[in-house]
Amino acid sequence: MKHDFEPKIVAFVCTWCTYAGADLAGTSRMLYPSNVRVVKFPCTGRIDPVFILKAFQKGADGILVSGCHPGDCHYMAGNFHARRRFAVFRKLLEFIGVDLNRLEFSWVSAAEGGKWVEIVTELTEKIRSMGPLTQFTDLNDEEQWSGALSNPELKAVYDQV
Amino acid sequence: MKSTGKPEPTVTIDTSGYAVATEEIRSEAKRLLLEKIVDAVVGYQSGRRKGSAVPVIITDPAQAEQLVFSPACVNNLSIYLTKAKKEIRAKGKLAVVAKGCDLRALAGLMGESQFKREEVVIIGVTCAGVHSAGVQPNEPLTSATIAKKCRECSVHIPEGADLIVGKLPLLPDLTPTEKELLEKLDAMTPGERWEYWKEQFTRCIRCLACRQVCPFCYCEQCLCDRGRPQAVDTSPRPSGNMGWHIVRAMHLAGRCSGCAECERVCPMDIPLNLLNRKMAQELKELYQYEAGLTPQEKGPLTSYDEKDDQSFIK
Repeated sequence: MKHDFEPKIVAFVCTWCTYAGADLAGTSRMLYPSNVRVVKFPCTGRIDPVFILKAFQKGADGILVSGCHPGDCHYMAGNFHARRRFAVFRKLLEFIGVDLNRLEFSWVSAAEGGKWVEIVTELTEKIRSMGPLTQFTDLNDEEQWSGALSNPELKAVYDQV
Repeated sequence: MKSTGKPEPTVTIDTSGYAVATEEIRSEAKRLLLEKIVDAVVGYQSGRRKGSAVPVIITDPAQAEQLVFSPACVNNLSIYLTKAKKEIRAKGKLAVVAKGCDLRALAGLMGESQFKREEVVIIGVTCAGVHSAGVQPNEPLTSATIAKKCRECSVHIPEGADLIVGKLPLLPDLTPTEKELLEKLDAMTPGERWEYWKEQFTRCIRCLACRQVCPFCYCEQCLCDRGRPQAVDTSPRPSGNMGWHIVRAMHLAGRCSGCAECERVCPMDIPLNLLNRKMAQELKELYQYEAGLTPQEKGPLTSYDEKDDQSFIK
């Protein structure tokens, strides 16, 4: 089926659980939207909030962060630290004015190929219905305050020059 | 930022205690240096403009007479005690003059192992408030010239300092303008908030004074200065500005002690402390953590609890 809008979804996943889970989905021949771009990290604890920001700025429409279930972390506590960090980061983004529906978090273990398919499909469809995210990319094209001639007096001077 | 209510009448704030504090700071600094308890004292001295005050580091007991305390003593001197300030640390044991808000920053820095409590003598000053940014230094302290953070100060008396000097006058009730603005923003829709912050951050000229003045921004290499990989665009344009301010707020979450120095030094008047306050508020709600109350080795984002809320995770 053809759609008008194919969202770009970036998934930041941990190599031990979610990446293996996604792999399982693949080897089990399960179908899931190819909109998702998987970026593999050693652990969810390695995923810096800056990566999310950067992905949004570079044109991602939705972001998924996924790792091991609590207690299953290969490095003992990486996902616990990540959980706190992202809980706080979500609040910050919310305060800045970003729609949190575009940012999703999940725990997907190496055995949960089905859950991975479900989450990715659901997120893709949700973002598709929301349309592209232009908040961040619009900023790339915007000029600095000094460049904008919002002031009529400035504009007059500018035209004279 | 204007208060939502009707304009309040200007009230003068009694600063008679500041002269007492000045005398006591001088005698204490002199004693500490004479008895060789400390090698240097970090305090304030009069600046060249009438009534102004600038940070100073004295090593000679005779210089103690230079020290002052006035409403113009706006700086947070705790920044001089971080490990990043190598030339100051090399002087030996230090004493520092600290207001209540500065003391919270000192507690935070101790928690982050920037220095040990026994290495520093803290001269706490009871403070009724200091000037806001852009006020002429010789103006009297009134409800019109007082800093926003001082309007809702909860640490007039620096509990936990080695010595507390000065005395607290009767304080007038001031409207908490910052709290009101925060509530206003919280009530907005995400789209309106985005417009608000976009407008604020678009003004940013990326002078990085907020980073320079922050006691907690002591990293030798800032993530935002790195070129490869570049996390945040370094040019002062809206996109990079948004990135910088989000990263800044995130890195200070759970650490910021609310001294509002970032906001004071901002040449473009961006309400930076609002972000810090919001993060502090969220951390208090989520993890019952308040920065700067006592030196704590583990902050909320460097520790975890297995029972933390994960309702936002699928």
